Amino acid sequence: MKMKPAAKVYTALIFLFLFAPIAILLVFSFNETKSLSVFSEFSVKWYRELFKDEETLRALQNTLVLAVTASIISTAMGTAAAVGIHRLRRKYLRTAYDTVTNIPMMNPDIITGISLMLMFVFVGRLFGLSTSLSFWTMLIAHITFCLPYVILQVLPKLQQMDPSLPEAAMDLGCTPVRAFFRVEVPEILPGIITGLMMAFTLSLDDFVISYFTQGNGFQTLPIRIYNMTKKTVTPKMYALATIIFFAILALLLLTNLVDEDDSRRMKEARTAKRAAKGKKPRGDSNKRGMAIVGAILGITIILIAAIGITRPKPVELNVYNWGEYISDGSEDTLDTIKAFEDWYLEEYGYPVKVNYETYASNEDMYAKLKSGAVSYDLVIPSDYMIARMAAEDMLVPLNYANIPNYQYISESFRGLYYDPDDTYTVPYTYGVVGVIYDANQVDEEDIGTWDLLWNEKYAGNILQFNNSRDAFATAIYRAGNDVNSSDHAVWDDALQMLAEQHPLVKSYVMDEIYNMMESGEAAIASYYAGDYFTMIDAQSDAVDLQFYYPEPTNFFVDAMCIPKGCQHQELAEIFINFMLSEEPAVANAEYIYYASPNSLVYENEDYIEEMGEETMEILYRFTDEFSDMFNQYAYRNLDQETLDYVNTLWETLKIS
Amino acid sequence: MKGHRNSVTRMALAPYSVWALLFILVPLVFVAYYAFTDNNMHFTLDNIIKFFTAKSTVTGDNGETLQVRTYMVIFWRSVKLAVISTIVCLLMGYPIAYIIARARPKVQKTIITLIMIPMWMNFLIRTYAWMTILQDTGLLNNFLANLHLGRMHIIGTESAVVIGMVYDYLPYMILPIYSIMAKLDTRLLEAAHDLGCNNLSTLRRVVFPLSLPGVVSGVTMVLIPSISTFYISQKLGNGKFFLIGDAIEGQYVANNLHFAAAIAFILMVILLIAMALMKRYTDSRVAGGV
Repeated sequence: MKMKPAAKVYTALIFLFLFAPIAILLVFSFNETKSLSVFSEFSVKWYRELFKDEETLRALQNTLVLAVTASIISTAMGTAAAVGIHRLRRKYLRTAYDTVTNIPMMNPDIITGISLMLMFVFVGRLFGLSTSLSFWTMLIAHITFCLPYVILQVLPKLQQMDPSLPEAAMDLGCTPVRAFFRVEVPEILPGIITGLMMAFTLSLDDFVISYFTQGNGFQTLPIRIYNMTKKTVTPKMYALATIIFFAILALLLLTNLVDEDDSRRMKEARTAKRAAKGKKPRGDSNKRGMAIVGAILGITIILIAAIGITRPKPVELNVYNWGEYISDGSEDTLDTIKAFEDWYLEEYGYPVKVNYETYASNEDMYAKLKSGAVSYDLVIPSDYMIARMAAEDMLVPLNYANIPNYQYISESFRGLYYDPDDTYTVPYTYGVVGVIYDANQVDEEDIGTWDLLWNEKYAGNILQFNNSRDAFATAIYRAGNDVNSSDHAVWDDALQMLAEQHPLVKSYVMDEIYNMMESGEAAIASYYAGDYFTMIDAQSDAVDLQFYYPEPTNFFVDAMCIPKGCQHQELAEIFINFMLSEEPAVANAEYIYYASPNSLVYENEDYIEEMGEETMEILYRFTDEFSDMFNQYAYRNLDQETLDYVNTLWETLKIS
Repeated sequence: MKGHRNSVTRMALAPYSVWALLFILVPLVFVAYYAFTDNNMHFTLDNIIKFFTAKSTVTGDNGETLQVRTYMVIFWRSVKLAVISTIVCLLMGYPIAYIIARARPKVQKTIITLIMIPMWMNFLIRTYAWMTILQDTGLLNNFLANLHLGRMHIIGTESAVVIGMVYDYLPYMILPIYSIMAKLDTRLLEAAHDLGCNNLSTLRRVVFPLSLPGVVSGVTMVLIPSISTFYISQKLGNGKFFLIGDAIEGQYVANNLHFAAAIAFILMVILLIAMALMKRYTDSRVAGGV
């Protein structure tokens, strides 16, 4: 049948809808800057960067390894299960199996994820394991949610099959197993292949279940992207998406050319009488399915070989840091992790492997560590979280003899409240929260204080933090109260202010702030000082971003520390020491754009020149008086009762 | 022969039975266990009670102060947005499934594959790209402004979240409906025409009842994930309101595992009841229709 014009137009519109965002990614993967809203100049550099970025390639490899393993295992187990279920004669058993099979499909991802996580963590604690989540728990989770899709693809094919076929084969002398493989399998193969493809697709795209069950040493691409949420999502990801898109497209065109077997399948489709309750088109063609599966397997194997999962790495150091919070070799910077591995091999004569993984927030990291789900050798939390971890006996005292470079840490950053005797920490970066505004939209006379974020003149152009601690702090600083108060009245008062601000707020943001400020989508925001410079680099011509510090404001330090349960304390200390040495420290400071407490950095002439006068002035304005300001205004660890209360208030704000 | 058959059946079923018990059923027991205990693992109903009774004071549209039940508001907003998204998906997806099913086989294959391609690219990134399209200064608004059609404020509204959900889950609606329609016996349609049905009444009386199993699958596959999503609301809703998924994730990050489990448990129970009711309804419809 030929398509009518109306049908053609409608189909085209649906495709426009489905492919518009992909077109955006394609275009912006060629952007010179990191922006996803302002296109500055054509460049292919993100593609170059992508292939240099071992961590991202490893995440891609992990994603593929997981998807291939999970889909193969779930297809094998699910096919066998379908055969078994098909042969069940007792009705109640049949119903029981159908119900159980439906559970993972009827349950939202978030429940499947949480339920498995609760069980793994509980079992892990029961056996006193140092880590209860790992590659294996993630694999189990993926197999579990893929299984029902496979079963529901294979079962209808079995029902369509003539039941006398295998019996005839057995009458003719086949063993049951032989009859199964020679007679039944070819009949149900389309269902098996569709099931395999579905399992692979679902596993590849899963974020929620992975988020709750991921553990040490194994991060997938979706998790890595989610954890970039404090800094920007790197355009390398757009480049990767574009490559994946064209790879699949090429694959499909190829297989389309290969098969010409249309008429046979059409006949087959007509004769299939039963309306199976499948979820997807039945296997388009065995050959095509096979070709795709084969190609995916091939690509995965090549990737594994290329990236070298099997390289022997005797010692492994597990580092847990914020997303996008280390110089990673992109845009001709130093690849700090690789530099450490090389240096270590040269210095000590045997290799070390750094497993570098990321988290999205202090709380995210804390929840994972506290549950006993993961164990790391090094983490980089912020001040108030360090205080909490120290109070809960989650940190190991450092042996500063292994960290001689600690001498370069300026006096201003020693003896801070969270670690008064300098026992647990070595500061990594520090910063101050400020207000960023677009001078083309905001009048000069309105700036200077926190009031700008409440100024009704700019209704709908204001951004507020999308995390409770920072958002409440803006209101509390504005009111002149104590951000660490346990007095409910202070927090109620702040909520009142945030509720007044709610109608003026365009968006509650973390990483979205970059695109919104760069493009002029919003005019006012408060964020961490260093990030202002990242935005300036990418701002559109119509935007003129400026910055000031309101008073009082938040001072923060992110510091390296070693959590209890670490496997290689000395190695972690050697790593800390390396991070303080001149070249990596400068590279990190330039990459992250936050101020460094390390005199090797802020006295380095190349660094000063690279940053420029204005940047240096803003970033390092408070260096001398830092410890006083910090001890007075920084966040402290709130008691659990206050935290719960603030959390409740935050939910209140989000329902108004 | 019979005994042989049974042993084969048992062997084939064994791995899955063990797996389903350990990783499908037992974890659900853990959700219930955490939902009904406190931090010291003592039995409590507090978490469940908190979900139904916790109140917040908010400012209404006219500046008056209102007392509302926090999680009820969040829950109903999630249900509302999920139901709207599902309906939009059905309205958009059903015609396209019908069109595809009636196209030439070669075209069918190509279109179905094209519909699946976006699912192979990370959904976080695709959702991110929608921000660029829907922003006030984004592509859509620039396009409208160039046509002198004025600007639309979409990002940060519930509509933006619905667009995100429809975008992400539309393929899950199209594919099951298509797979049923592709197998429809075309002779039935011809017969309906011969008996005097026009196109519309053929669609209403023949095609739709027969495609109902596909519609049920599609509705389930869109409704379930859209009720519990937490990324789409954060990105396209501008973080201005919580959905039930945000609440669960928020409690998890705040290390209140027991309350997170309680919300999950309640959501699970409600969904299972809803699905059972829907199944009963459609089973009777399908049985009566065919």
